[in-house]
Amino acid sequence: MAVAADSAADQDPNPVPDEAAGESVEAPAYPDHGEPNADAADVEYEDEEEELDGEAAEAAAREKVEAVFRRLSEDPVGIRVHDVIIKGNTKTRDALIEAEVVGLIRSAATVQDLVRTASVANARLRRLDVFDSVHILLDAGPPELPGTTNVVIEVVEAANPINGSVGCFSKPEARSWTVEGSVRWKNIFGYGDIWDASGAYGWDQSSEIGIGVSLPRFRSIPTPLTARASLLSHDWLKFSSYKERLVGLSFGLLSGVHHDLSYNLTWRTLTDPSQEASQSIRRQLGHNLLSALRYTYTIDQRDSNLRPTKGYAFVSTSQVGGLWGSKGLRFFRQEFDIRGAVPLGFYNAALNAGISAGVIVPLGRGFMESPSSVPDRFFLGGHSSPVISLGSLTSLLGFKTRGVGPTELRRFVPSESVTDESAASPGWDYLGGDFAVSAFADLSFNLPLKLFQDAGIHGHAFLTAGNLAKLSEGEFRNFSFSKFGRTLRSSAGVGIILPTKLLRVEINYCHILKQFEHDRGKTGIQFSFSSPM
Amino acid sequence: MASAAAAAAAEWEAAARKVLVARKPCFGLPTACPTCLPVFLYLRMAQVPFDIHVDTNFPDADHIPYVEFGDCVAFNNEKGGVIEYLKDEKIVDLNSNHPSVSSTDVLETKAMVSTWLADALLYDLWVVSDGSIANDIYFSDLAWPIGKILHWKKTRHVKQLLGITKLNAAEKEEEIYRKASAAYDSLSIRLGDQVFLFDNSPTDVDALFLGHALFVLNALPDTSVLRGTLQKHDNLVRFAEHHKVQLLETSSSSSSGLGSSPSPSSSTPRRRPSSDQSYKPKPRTKKERTEEEKKFRRRAKYFLATQLVAVLVFLSLMGGVDSSELDDDDGLDYED
Repeated sequence: MAVAADSAADQDPNPVPDEAAGESVEAPAYPDHGEPNADAADVEYEDEEEELDGEAAEAAAREKVEAVFRRLSEDPVGIRVHDVIIKGNTKTRDALIEAEVVGLIRSAATVQDLVRTASVANARLRRLDVFDSVHILLDAGPPELPGTTNVVIEVVEAANPINGSVGCFSKPEARSWTVEGSVRWKNIFGYGDIWDASGAYGWDQSSEIGIGVSLPRFRSIPTPLTARASLLSHDWLKFSSYKERLVGLSFGLLSGVHHDLSYNLTWRTLTDPSQEASQSIRRQLGHNLLSALRYTYTIDQRDSNLRPTKGYAFVSTSQVGGLWGSKGLRFFRQEFDIRGAVPLGFYNAALNAGISAGVIVPLGRGFMESPSSVPDRFFLGGHSSPVISLGSLTSLLGFKTRGVGPTELRRFVPSESVTDESAASPGWDYLGGDFAVSAFADLSFNLPLKLFQDAGIHGHAFLTAGNLAKLSEGEFRNFSFSKFGRTLRSSAGVGIILPTKLLRVEINYCHILKQFEHDRGKTGIQFSFSSPM
Repeated sequence: MASAAAAAAAEWEAAARKVLVARKPCFGLPTACPTCLPVFLYLRMAQVPFDIHVDTNFPDADHIPYVEFGDCVAFNNEKGGVIEYLKDEKIVDLNSNHPSVSSTDVLETKAMVSTWLADALLYDLWVVSDGSIANDIYFSDLAWPIGKILHWKKTRHVKQLLGITKLNAAEKEEEIYRKASAAYDSLSIRLGDQVFLFDNSPTDVDALFLGHALFVLNALPDTSVLRGTLQKHDNLVRFAEHHKVQLLETSSSSSSGLGSSPSPSSSTPRRRPSSDQSYKPKPRTKKERTEEEKKFRRRAKYFLATQLVAVLVFLSLMGGVDSSELDDDDGLDYED
């Protein structure tokens, strides 16, 4: 008496369920009186059947099923959903499940539609990620109301609400490897909420701990919302003579396939325990409130994140800071990233090329002479591969992290003794740039040995270039694109990429083609590790 | 030591501009922070021309106030403070002008001012006051959540520093004010009718005490016990008023105006004095050893990295790559 849409089976939108998929369909018991387009009632109530013996009963049942299929495949069969019953949810609120699927189910007017929408509802509920399994059954409606059906949604909540993971990665914005661990709790309060606590520790003493929650929907807002509180610390003493500590809240307000809007409220503290910073950095030490809204628009039509061979991608990130009134950090930051991949036909080779640019402008009174905030500026350098880091404007292979761009002499301490080496060269602070451009071209190809091809190991040859310029504090008057182009740093090289289950390993030999004073570029072999996903 | 002092003094002489970074002006004072004001006054007394840059972001910094000269910096939390550093490096030493004054006297008076009077001022500013004075000086340019939290932290820190707990609060207060009163008495007697505390010639103690007195008289409210105690000593009040007019209100042509000065920052190196006099060339053996060390470290790094890569390659070739794990297919994926 029921048509079951089972979560285990792969659904296809074909309104005629396929018997071979293992679904069981029994004769529905709905007569269609009063439906103008329906055929003449041909189906009998099951309880009016005569008692038949075993084989004949089976044959009769089969014939009934076939009759149903014939009917369903000929014309739309009208139906009305009378009631939606939710079972099996001990913790999860009814309201959540109803909000996800009821509107959809009730909108179905024919049986075919209903079966299709039941599959969609099933997928939606599974996507909440808080149930172990979801079954949707279409049952007969109350006998006094012909042409109706009751939809029963049976959920099995996740038996083990906690799961955790540990991984080791190298992020583009961090100086070196980080070990990350996270624990997730699902559905604590029954709203489909997923809580996660994560901690990450990096080899360069940078660390982060955070706790976040994501809700699939909040009251009438249909898109998922996330909130996260985190405590993060970064050590940039070796590069720019400061350490930063951030305590903040961030809210993901809108997140979809193309759009992402988030709000960030962070208390940022810059300190310099070494007391060796240059003047520009010294002036920026202290506390600041960063209240910023960030909007990201992404189109990614590439066929793969890790080894794109075809397609294009475009990311635009805009960030406006200073929404807390006049006392927070006020700036506008915009980044563009556009790239494409073209297959070349032989050896599974592909040419990837891309260019990204970014600019940061301080806002507020006297913005033309005021400095931009150092941690928000652009920095180039590091070992992260440009091909896989979409939307991140930091890759310039061959140069050390933050190893490019405007610099300033650090504090000079007159030596106490003549053998004190540190007095001779105080070192340089890398200040980053307000305007940055970086571009890359990468040719990836399979290696000739079949062994390598099977393991996914491939080679690549690349060319990267980039430059930074300072625009704040009146320097934009001295800026010219021709000078910017002439001082473009570049590097080229070849390498091998080994994708393994734990990490994606990249071994590159980089040759610096062009670098300028104080840049830290090094010709030689480099390793880069990143997440395998 | 002589070479180091000479190097610092040479830098000072060669510096085109000296910049004092201090907290913001308030209550009619060029800088309202009681730690920064003595340094300001000391430089004024020594008739050193300097610019002032206001720092608004770092109220809980130990290193402020600091003086920049050329590429060098004298911080508050190094070598006993800015004034001590300037004296030790023989850059600006007011005390050397009158060697007849017993240094023990100066030291005792300085100890009294820097401990008893400073503690009393801290107590009045952070514990007794309702917080509005401290807010105006330190936190008015920060966003209010940060300001509130830092204020609370500082108040707690001051209470810990002074050893004040709920049980002994009254006793501690009485002790603090008693010591301050005794200090004022002693200073009043020492000052007498003179212009300065020691022999009519300025010392660093004058700068320290003047900074304290100007703050107490101008920033603390009328109801403050400390202010009341100070006002009982007419000669001390006259001392403060007289020097305020002398040093602050007649802003001489030698020092430029208040406010933040634009700081040029570019990647061109600043002018440095010729380094011949100050430094000898490094001994060769030490340099070579460092080179060797560096080479060794680099080689060790390469070796370890190669080992790791070899292990990973082995694992990946033997294990194969599981690319089907990348996509978690839940069935149909419908777009809303």
